[in-house]
Amino acid sequence: MEANIGISRIAQRVHSLHNAITPKDIFSNLKKVLRKISRYRLILLLFSMILTIVVWEGLVFLFNLPPFILPSPLLVFQRFGQVILDGSLFTHIFITLGEILLGLFFGVLTATILGYFLSRSMIIEQIIGPYIVASQAIPTIAIAPLLIIWFGPGIFSKILICALTVFFPILINTIVGLRSVPTKLYDLMNSLQATRWQIFRYLEVPSSLPVFLGGLRVGATLSVIGAVVGEFVGADRGLGFLINVARGQYDTALVFVAVFVLVGMALALYGVVAWSETFFLSWQQKKS
Amino acid sequence: MVKRSLFIFLILVIGVSACISIEKADPKKGTHPITSTTKIRLPMGYIPSVQFAPFYVALDKGYYKDESLDIEFDYSFETDAVTLVGHQDLPFAVVSGEQVLLARAQGLPVVYVMTYYKDYPVVLVSKSDKQISKPNDLIGKRVGVPMLSGASYIGLRAMLSATGIKENQISLETIGYNQVESLALDKQEVVVCYINNEPVQMESQGYKVNSLRVSDYVLLVSTGLITNELTLMKNPDLVRRMVKATLRGIRSTIEDPKEAFEISKKYVDNLANANPQQEKDQKEILKVTLDLWRSDPMGKTNPKAWENMQNVLLDMGMLMKKLDVGKAYSNEFLK
Repeated sequence: MEANIGISRIAQRVHSLHNAITPKDIFSNLKKVLRKISRYRLILLLFSMILTIVVWEGLVFLFNLPPFILPSPLLVFQRFGQVILDGSLFTHIFITLGEILLGLFFGVLTATILGYFLSRSMIIEQIIGPYIVASQAIPTIAIAPLLIIWFGPGIFSKILICALTVFFPILINTIVGLRSVPTKLYDLMNSLQATRWQIFRYLEVPSSLPVFLGGLRVGATLSVIGAVVGEFVGADRGLGFLINVARGQYDTALVFVAVFVLVGMALALYGVVAWSETFFLSWQQKKS
Repeated sequence: MVKRSLFIFLILVIGVSACISIEKADPKKGTHPITSTTKIRLPMGYIPSVQFAPFYVALDKGYYKDESLDIEFDYSFETDAVTLVGHQDLPFAVVSGEQVLLARAQGLPVVYVMTYYKDYPVVLVSKSDKQISKPNDLIGKRVGVPMLSGASYIGLRAMLSATGIKENQISLETIGYNQVESLALDKQEVVVCYINNEPVQMESQGYKVNSLRVSDYVLLVSTGLITNELTLMKNPDLVRRMVKATLRGIRSTIEDPKEAFEISKKYVDNLANANPQQEKDQKEILKVTLDLWRSDPMGKTNPKAWENMQNVLLDMGMLMKKLDVGKAYSNEFLK
């Protein structure tokens, strides 16, 4: 009898526990924890950056590394200050940023237009598709000198190299995004006698936007690489040129300055695209 | 059980005996004295080329082996090579002279110990119909340079400075390493390049060219062999042996260029399978480079060339202050 009571109590306890803690409870608690963490996101980010700098400085000190191998954070910061004060860094940033933005614009424009037509026709995709895939297998650094010969050493060839770098991820995401529109919705629009433009405007664009913007995040960061590759091969200004000059003068601190500025640009572009997602996809967030 | 153990024991004894006899049978190990050879990875600063024929000859004919050196060629970038030598990761490298001053300005303790090219090899090349035969003819012309750093740009600036021409008097453009194409397509009227490369390629394509040599107007430190201060201090004999073997390679190449070309086929990719025109071009490159090797005394560097180079770099802003150029080079290992 006592054993039965014991078992019964245990069963009750288990049952009450089961009722108290459901998977839903665990998930909602996790959300609370994550929300708390996000409030301190900035502090955590600053802390991780300070930790990185401390470790970096520690490595330089412990291993007695010379500045041409690994400059200390302080030396990089000093060099950063020098090129800011003499104004040269702004010139190079302006040039590279211009190439990135123009390369991104033209790369996205051509990829989106071509992607739309390829998504509408399997036959066109099967004819042109292999050439596009093959073109992506060619390393940009190999083709960059040829583009400079054909199109000249001016800014146009750098914009072209940047646009080519951005082109493929945008193209693929455009095609995938447009093809992911459910057929039923096309039927619905047709049943409502929607025009081609209305189908495009009210169905295809909003449906494909999440995938498209995902591709744009990748494209935005790749555009920085594209612009720098072009400048490496032949330029007289820009951050890629600055890296070349700094390497040629064994000024490793300046190489770091240019690299960090490029990283900052890539992060900023990524952030702009991420922010635009919250704006253009607000309907998606409200629904969820 | 006992029989099996005996059998295994016998097999082992026979096996070990066989190994010992093979060891003894190796003539190299059995009879020759053991010598310690120094393995050296040598960055050349450029792709495999007949321009490095003396090194190939020295290796192939055993000059390095005679000095107990085991050389392995490395074709990484010049700036990386200087950094590795400066950081004592490698003992030697073949680099252009200005790299030594630029590196020393940043604290890399590299030292130039042997001249490889007696003249600065940078030239300004134009199609002969443009009639650019002297520096003043460059004024107002479109001049293409690979980049705004490195030996080509430094050579151009040195020549302009020596002849009183300002950079803004020419229309300068960076064109990457596309000098031949740019000149052939008339995108540039003049291109800056190396005497033993692009002009030969241009003439091979059927273009008649004029060359303005930087070395005709200003004496500059050219390509040479570098080491670092630690190697000089702790192992000067290694430096002496390396320089001695390399100079022997240069002399042999000058004495018999045909043999040097044949030897180079073993070390330069695609040279052995080159078509007649390509082989002719490469022989011409070797012929032009012979002039760069002929110096007397061989391997010696000129202090005036170092002073000139420093002045050019200071004028260009690539050096912020004067260095003690006397510490940047040494002629004492040529004896």
